[in-house]
Amino acid sequence: MIYKLVVPGPVEDVEEVRVLEWHGSVGRVFSAGELVVELETHKAIIEVRTAQPGILRGILCAAGDWQRIGEPLAVLSDNPNEPVPTVAGELVSWLVEFEIT
Amino acid sequence: MLCNAPEAVTKLFFREAIARGIREEMRRDDKVILLGQDVESFGGSYKEFVGLYEEFGSARVRNTPVAEAAMVGLGVGAAAAGMRPLVSITYMDFLLLGLDPLVNYAAKVRYKTGGQISAPVVVKVTAGAKGQGVAHSQCVEAWLMGVPGLKVVAPSTPADAYGLIKSALRDDGPVVFVDHKRLFPAAGEVLTDEQSVPIGKAIIRRRGTDVTIVTHSYMASVAAKSAERLAADGVSCEIVDLRSLAPLDVATVCESVARTGALLTLEEGQTICGVGAEVTARVREEMDVSRVARVGALAAPVSFNPVLERACLPDPERVVQSVRRLLALR
Amino acid sequence: MDSIGLLRSMLLIRTFENVFARRRDHGFQLLSSGEEAVAVGLCAALTAEDQLLTSGRSIGFALARGLDPGLVMAELLGKSAGPCRGKGGRGHLAQPSAGFFGAHAVVGGNLTIAAGVALATQLQGRATTVVCVFGDGACGSGALHETLNFAALWRLPLVLVCNNNQYSVSTPRSQALAPQLLSDLAKPFGIPSATIDGTDVVVVRDAVKDFGDRARSGQGPSFLECVSYRFASHSTATRETRGVEEISALKQHCPILRHIARLQAEGILTADVLACLESEVEDAVARAGSFADAAPYPERSEVLSDVM
Repeated sequence: MIYKLVVPGPVEDVEEVRVLEWHGSVGRVFSAGELVVELETHKAIIEVRTAQPGILRGILCAAGDWQRIGEPLAVLSDNPNEPVPTVAGELVSWLVEFEIT
Repeated sequence: MLCNAPEAVTKLFFREAIARGIREEMRRDDKVILLGQDVESFGGSYKEFVGLYEEFGSARVRNTPVAEAAMVGLGVGAAAAGMRPLVSITYMDFLLLGLDPLVNYAAKVRYKTGGQISAPVVVKVTAGAKGQGVAHSQCVEAWLMGVPGLKVVAPSTPADAYGLIKSALRDDGPVVFVDHKRLFPAAGEVLTDEQSVPIGKAIIRRRGTDVTIVTHSYMASVAAKSAERLAADGVSCEIVDLRSLAPLDVATVCESVARTGALLTLEEGQTICGVGAEVTARVREEMDVSRVARVGALAAPVSFNPVLERACLPDPERVVQSVRRLLALR
Repeated sequence: MDSIGLLRSMLLIRTFENVFARRRDHGFQLLSSGEEAVAVGLCAALTAEDQLLTSGRSIGFALARGLDPGLVMAELLGKSAGPCRGKGGRGHLAQPSAGFFGAHAVVGGNLTIAAGVALATQLQGRATTVVCVFGDGACGSGALHETLNFAALWRLPLVLVCNNNQYSVSTPRSQALAPQLLSDLAKPFGIPSATIDGTDVVVVRDAVKDFGDRARSGQGPSFLECVSYRFASHSTATRETRGVEEISALKQHCPILRHIARLQAEGILTADVLACLESEVEDAVARAGSFADAAPYPERSEVLSDVM
């Protein structure tokens, strides 16, 4: 199955974030509980961790790009060879946990 | 005909825009120093000074004790003796403790010494209500705009925060720079090239034909939301963002009102003796306009209480109602 | 400045103020008869590059610092020839180019400002000191405690001089301030302090020189209390509240008579020399008066100059 990783929320006072750093490049396999990406808000950093395994298939927002809460950052899949659609809109969200530091 | 390429922009958080402006001015002029609570490695209460201590060191970026009268006084005195200090007061409410050196000395020293001494100090304060209670919520810039010798600026966007902090730090002062708690979550585009915003110039944020809404600081975004709702009902609002309260750009306001024929002022501070009282009086001195209204906080302290804070302060609903009443719409 | 110079300087202040106070247009003045040794001793210990800030009782300090008496009188009368173009008067008299950063009329209002001037001095790497004079009346002000704290934390080159003339308008020190010795106010901050006889011009000079040298050499702030006696009432608009006997007793502490006695005992002040000094000083004050009288007031249009 193909998933979209969206900016998690709600986070109090935060409407949009800036991608700080991806912890892996396209093709990386993530198991549950790993740090995937750090997002910068106006006052803190959001650490986004996997809550399910998956393979990173496409990065939609690179480091330095901005994105709104609930909007897609990346595309992941269960299996490495599943074809990835060009738009993320209809995809199921990939499960994550996030911590604000 | 020349084709102008759009100027390169960068999107920054409000806090980053402030830090960038201060950093540029500190690099340009080593007389610029920063005094305030928690401004060293903590980087400021809103992280608006992050990186400055690491770059400029402890001589030029100094934590102070909690002592606003002395914080302002030392900044004023150092300015009078040749430095260009930025004094950071975390809450505008606490500026009240520092009003003696600001108003009785800094604003008057050029006059009282016949021009021998001036005080190029910038006092930066964060105003506004965000659930923190009666002594942590005030917007009292209206009290300051009438002090002869004092300049007051209030940006509403990261670009203007960046441009105005630069202008304030280059000004011969004194200048009070008023930002707002609710502006910090907003990100916005700022020109990549260095650029200042002049003190004393308002800007038209939205063009319209039916009413001129004059506002500043966080209320500019309330004005924007109100304008969107009114547009859906066929009412076209022009929004003038003052950016500077002293000196006040009455000309831009008058030029707008001349086209729309109606004036509504919008501020978060109390309506009584507020910014709108001065703006409306000045416009009426210049031109004939009968449709004039002011919107501001009710005549009550702004409580931490979420129900009461909302009841006290202007919101898009109240602004929309006020515009409709002003324009005699049902 | 030599001993005779110290005497001349004190005589100048006394004569200037006496002559000025007799004018019908003297305005609202705070005079310093009885306190001349503090002004003269202090200024004798300053270099040309040091900066001096004072309270509203400024005339003695301005003259002791070397400001021209004619310019001072012009300023007091509101004439545009004054250093502040007649817009500051006694309460805000200033000539920073002469090392007189200025008076400020808010009690305690110059303390944090002086600390700021000291901070600038430190950042600019100068080996000079900033001196701030204030009265016992300012010692109850929070500004003093905030200033002491900053000065200690940042080792500011600041000498705080409390001219304790023992009254704040009509309120005696004991009713206004809990500490008996005002120099004790500096102790909690670890700032060196002393209480001295403010009627002895040489003692004042030596104490200010010591504390000033500490500041100039980077050793930080100090607090000097000079006990003095105010001969007249608080101001020309304030009635005297002390009894005849009390005033007569405090006039026994005249710093000028005390210094004269010292110089006579040392054999360097003959009657002729004294008469000559008095005459010089009277002439200087007369010339100041002529200059100030001839000087014009500012034009009305100056009301809006130098605001922003």
